[in-house]
Amino acid sequence: MAAPNPAPLPDYSDDGVDLSLIRWMLSLTPAERLQFHEQHLNDILAIRELNGGA
Amino acid sequence: MERKFSALLRALHENGVEFILVGGLAGVLNGAPINTFDVDIVHARTPENVARLQRVLESLDAVFRIQPDRRLRPDASHLKGPGHLNLLTSQGPLDLLGTIGSGQSYQDLLPHSADVNIGGGIRIRVLDLETLVALKEELGGDKDRAMLSILRQTLNETRNKEVR
Repeated sequence: MAAPNPAPLPDYSDDGVDLSLIRWMLSLTPAERLQFHEQHLNDILAIRELNGGA
Repeated sequence: MERKFSALLRALHENGVEFILVGGLAGVLNGAPINTFDVDIVHARTPENVARLQRVLESLDAVFRIQPDRRLRPDASHLKGPGHLNLLTSQGPLDLLGTIGSGQSYQDLLPHSADVNIGGGIRIRVLDLETLVALKEELGGDKDRAMLSILRQTLNETRNKEVR
């Protein structure tokens, strides 16, 4: 008899934190996390700049 | 201004500065999906390390962030103190923390940090998630509370991942 499928992991915590995003971050190496964050942040700053720094 | 956190961390590492990455970027390196706009470090306040740190700050054109137009530069006496120095460098904002929480220094935090590879052959000390959560709980400010839920859930997921 096949083992029952484990219960699916919830996507959100009780206080609304996106757990799938955390699991994705944890799948990266620290170097990849730093690179992603740096790129993400510079994209945000570039968009703000295009909108007059608002 | 473009942020080059990796370049900033590389400059500190390559000049032999003893420091521990703390704050939001330490959360990111530990896997927390949060945004942060500066680099926070706790540095060793020995005369030798202060001299090394001062050389790096000069190479990064660091000035106090509160009045950047006045171009006020931190000196050795600032770096030897337990307080917080909020600086602006050529690679983005850098906060130097002599101590954090209830007066915890570089030496106090060292056992609560891990050696982390951030790419390009660079390894730095990063505060662990348990201590980061404990510090944010202790500080209890609005900004810290907003980050706290994500840090706690990241800690839970890290522990779950270890047992899965």
